[in-house]
Amino acid sequence: MKSLSLVHQEFLTTAYRFVLPETVLLGTACLLFVLAVTVPRRAVAVGVGLVGVLGAAVVAALVGVERFQHVLGWQELSLFWGTVEGTPYYPRALSPFDPTGPAAFVRWLVLASAALFALLAYAEARDDNACEYVACLLVAAAGTSLVGRANDLVTLFLSLELLSIPTYVLLYLPARSREGQEAAVKYFLLSVLSSAVMLFGFSYLYGLTGTTNLGAIVDTLNDAHKMQVGPMALVAVVLVIAGLGFRLTLVPFHFYAPDVYEGGPTGVIAQLAFVPKVAGFVALARVLGMLYPPLDQLPFDANGTLIPMTLWILAAVSMTFGNAFALLQSNLKRMLAYSGIAHAGYMLIGFVVASTLPDVPNGQVPSQIGLDSVLFYLVAYGLMTVGAFAVLVHLAGGDHPVETVDDLAGLAKTHPVAAGALAVCLFSLLGLPLTAGFAGKLLLFVGAFDAPTTGSLRAMARVLAVIAAVNSAVGAVYYLRLIGVMSLRSPLKVAETSRGKAALAVALICATATLALGVYPKPLADAARAAVPLKDAGR
Amino acid sequence: MDNVNFIRQALLLAVLATPLAGALLTAMIGARIAGLLAAVHVGLTALLVLFAVGAVGERGEAGPHRAGLRVSAAQTFRPTSVPGDPGISGLQDSESHGTTWGLLALGPKSPAGVPDPEVQFFVGVDGLNVWLVALTSIMTLVAVLISTGRVKDRPAAYFAWLFALQAAVTGAFLSFDIVLFYVFFELTLVPAFFLIGNWGPGRGRRDAAKLFFLYTLFGSLFTLVGLIGVVLANPTPLHPTSATPKVSYGVVINAGGQLQLPVEGPLTFSIPHLMRNASTWGLVRVARCDFAEGKLAEATARLADADARLAAGPATPDLELQASAAAAARIVAADDLRTASADRARGRRLQIWLFLLLMAGFAVKTPILPFHTWLPTTYSEAPIAVTMILAAVLSKLGTYGILRLVLPLVPDAATEYGLEVFGVLGAVGIVYGAFCAFGQRDLRLLAAYSSVSHLGLLVMALFAFNTEGLAGASLHMVNHGLATGAMFALLGFLEVRHGTLDMSRYGGLIGRYPGFAFLFLLVCLANVGLPFLNNFVSEMLILAGLFDPSVVVPYGYGLAVAASSGIFLSAWYTFTMIRRVLFGPTIVPPLRDGVAPGLALPEALGYLIPAALCVVLGLFPQPVLDSIKGDTAALAQQADFARFRQKRETSTRLHQPESSPPLGTLAPEARGGPPAPP
Repeated sequence: MKSLSLVHQEFLTTAYRFVLPETVLLGTACLLFVLAVTVPRRAVAVGVGLVGVLGAAVVAALVGVERFQHVLGWQELSLFWGTVEGTPYYPRALSPFDPTGPAAFVRWLVLASAALFALLAYAEARDDNACEYVACLLVAAAGTSLVGRANDLVTLFLSLELLSIPTYVLLYLPARSREGQEAAVKYFLLSVLSSAVMLFGFSYLYGLTGTTNLGAIVDTLNDAHKMQVGPMALVAVVLVIAGLGFRLTLVPFHFYAPDVYEGGPTGVIAQLAFVPKVAGFVALARVLGMLYPPLDQLPFDANGTLIPMTLWILAAVSMTFGNAFALLQSNLKRMLAYSGIAHAGYMLIGFVVASTLPDVPNGQVPSQIGLDSVLFYLVAYGLMTVGAFAVLVHLAGGDHPVETVDDLAGLAKTHPVAAGALAVCLFSLLGLPLTAGFAGKLLLFVGAFDAPTTGSLRAMARVLAVIAAVNSAVGAVYYLRLIGVMSLRSPLKVAETSRGKAALAVALICATATLALGVYPKPLADAARAAVPLKDAGR
Repeated sequence: MDNVNFIRQALLLAVLATPLAGALLTAMIGARIAGLLAAVHVGLTALLVLFAVGAVGERGEAGPHRAGLRVSAAQTFRPTSVPGDPGISGLQDSESHGTTWGLLALGPKSPAGVPDPEVQFFVGVDGLNVWLVALTSIMTLVAVLISTGRVKDRPAAYFAWLFALQAAVTGAFLSFDIVLFYVFFELTLVPAFFLIGNWGPGRGRRDAAKLFFLYTLFGSLFTLVGLIGVVLANPTPLHPTSATPKVSYGVVINAGGQLQLPVEGPLTFSIPHLMRNASTWGLVRVARCDFAEGKLAEATARLADADARLAAGPATPDLELQASAAAAARIVAADDLRTASADRARGRRLQIWLFLLLMAGFAVKTPILPFHTWLPTTYSEAPIAVTMILAAVLSKLGTYGILRLVLPLVPDAATEYGLEVFGVLGAVGIVYGAFCAFGQRDLRLLAAYSSVSHLGLLVMALFAFNTEGLAGASLHMVNHGLATGAMFALLGFLEVRHGTLDMSRYGGLIGRYPGFAFLFLLVCLANVGLPFLNNFVSEMLILAGLFDPSVVVPYGYGLAVAASSGIFLSAWYTFTMIRRVLFGPTIVPPLRDGVAPGLALPEALGYLIPAALCVVLGLFPQPVLDSIKGDTAALAQQADFARFRQKRETSTRLHQPESSPPLGTLAPEARGGPPAPP
């Protein structure tokens, strides 16, 4: 029999096999940093970036094919939940990466969004900073994709930093104005602070369990919490939630968002509004143990702790505050910032639902497991938010800044295509049927209503769904205001030629996908369900 | 594939898709093809009606009569012409009244024979919606005809949105999937928003559009929550003991004399399934109570018997043991009964909440009285053809939602509180609307309030929830649509020419526009409910439904009196208006610039068609009533079951011991003794 340290070593030395596409992304980024010195051209940067994303996609597709997995010496993915052959050790408690669960879903999502962001970069970057811009973007994408599969506190933290650090650069690169610099500094300081808070929480988790492997931590805490919940574990998880709450723009960790969104370059903000949320939600699910079947027990469930209740409060407060403040905004990017806060609140509903999983009777397959609706909603949210920002990038050409609501007046007459794309995105944010936003809200609401009411959380999940419904109606007021301004008012200024056909293409792709997923959401919903572990799986 | 089912399914899809295609085509080619497209759609719809009415009517003939309802199995909607219908056991020319076209799965696939937990593209026709689809098609044609050449600003976009609105409304009428219905229901807001906001005549059009959108959305979000609640409260009932999962609509008593309730199976979103499930779960709860009651009576009798024997003879240990066992069994039985009735009470409470949530959206859309405040602004700010569509067709979406969703899916709450709450609101609405209509100077607002008043009658009829009321309501939806639509269309005649609808600026129009005056008089009389015109038939049926002894509660007659007074009041304000506008000295405001007073053929057709249909439906309502019969009978049966359950409940509430059984009858040993192990 192999010894534990030998197995451990094997996992560490073969870990590269799980992260090949990300390596391609990072390699492309390195190439771009070199090109920044030699050929500082916008077209080159975006072209190389897109080729890199395509290469990563090809590699990702290949490692999904069984024959190539054999070449790489992979075992079946399903074996990940069993034991290592010939030993009593669990891969999930040893491997630094977890290729199951949402890993593949997040990877594809990140690759698709990286391509869109590269197109946005073409519209926004200048020749002298385009290479760095795209390179940072690819590094951030690789970081996010790694968060999707990090199974170790160290890899998780490094992946999150791999996402954060390029974002600082991205915010600072095109920052020529005072506001832009203020935004970059504000984001940098608060992000570092939040990372420190999270790391502090991680250190407690390590101290309690003696391991940095998340699978092992969850198992250990599960065993320990059968007897009693340790107060230190609660401190740790609260710190982690606080640290991640910054990335998710949850109230009360949201206060940087409106200022940064307003001051930052629009294309980067589009990324900032979406990518950290993907990373944050997946990381949260991992730390809370929701990705480790058989899910009979969660380390922080509602019966033993108040953590689900904390998430409930964060969700309710985030959506209510976000919508209430968005009503008062006249600056478009600030309004979208508050809207992002509200949508983070909606998505947190899925976590409240998932934390009731231990109360679901064994053998009964719940129609909703919470996290799958979060994944679905993340995609929908990404499409509609990035689409909306892409329209703003497209319009912000020349001397015609598009900052306030009034700047959109009469857009339907001056820029009908852009206005149409923006209207679709806004209708989706509003939750109108036939858009992805509606399908996502429907899944979240059904999940919340289907959550078991026998545990300590009782019917609180349902109450949350009602709060969300009221919030959707409140949100409709400001989204509809934009639509009304665009289509019903007459233009205030003469139509200008706007730059950025690439940004318009992004907006159109997002709007089309929003409609397509609204009309036929089944494929994405099925993929999202396949990406989260079912209860009883792995037995 | 050349069978009649295939043709019907293709027709149904065509009826749904043509407006969408029409919207795209008009946007691309231009406004001039709008009339043609609308006419083609009317043709398609007429074909669908011809093909479908046969199939729908058969059901009405075969439907059970009221006397036999108690024993027959629970009825449900049976849509025909469903695209994607797999047929019964794969036979092409049979109909299973379901579909296989999934849109969004909410769980793993179910075993064979059990419906899948997925949102489906489930559309079909039955007696309740076929005439409303026809109404939508005709009224859209009328809207196109009366706006042809009148819209100066981007006419192609205007007609495209009009067709999009038609597509959404038609989709909502045709949906038999609860989520699909909501999708279409909500989608009507978008075209209406742009139509009102862009093409309204007044300055307040933008605010009116936003008010309309947000007010309706706010209501319907609660409806969405209610819909989800209904779906989760009524999963498919599965047979409790069967080895392979199969659907079972009843309880099973096993060999040991124990009651076995159905097991909760996968969720379903199909309205026909949900309707049957709602009825089943309601009956299961009552059956459980009845069974527990019977067990308790049996146990009580056995205990009395054991006590008597104990009292009669010397107390042997054997007898004492028997007596204490009987006492323990009685405690268990009483406990069972308490659990069963608590479960039933919980089911009822849930239904009441769901009822209120569902009604939130429909009450706003219809509108029912205190939620009507969006209506005057919207109706007066929208372009007149859109106002016509709003009043004739969109308001029917609210009442249709009540008919298709609220009544069948929460029948207990609807029979118990429907008439009490919404019937009363409807009655108040009749009187209030009539007085408001009397007070208006603007003809458009007068017609708007008159519409509110007549819709109150419709709401009352729906919640009377019996065969006559439902048949009357279903017919009245069509009639009200025709009469109100014709009224607004004719008002458009005046507005287009003179730019105002202020009543004080018109007089003696019969001299100036005799043809118009004749049609206007006819339509007003139809609105009032004159015999041989359409509203008369449905209003009589509605009154008959309200006077039905099976629903009569002390205030029921009061509601019927309010309804009758509404008919009288409507005559009062209508004739006052006619006298001022049509008769007396001729007062006509100057013509607008560049408007010819003469009548073009399309416009004339637009005024003639609905008015003519008012007469036709007044003379020959029977074909419509025949096709509605089967489905209203199914709904009325749902109501009868609900009333039966309610009656059972009140009777058990009177007899059932509230706390534990009186201890005086128990053997001394059994007092406070532990209950027997189950």
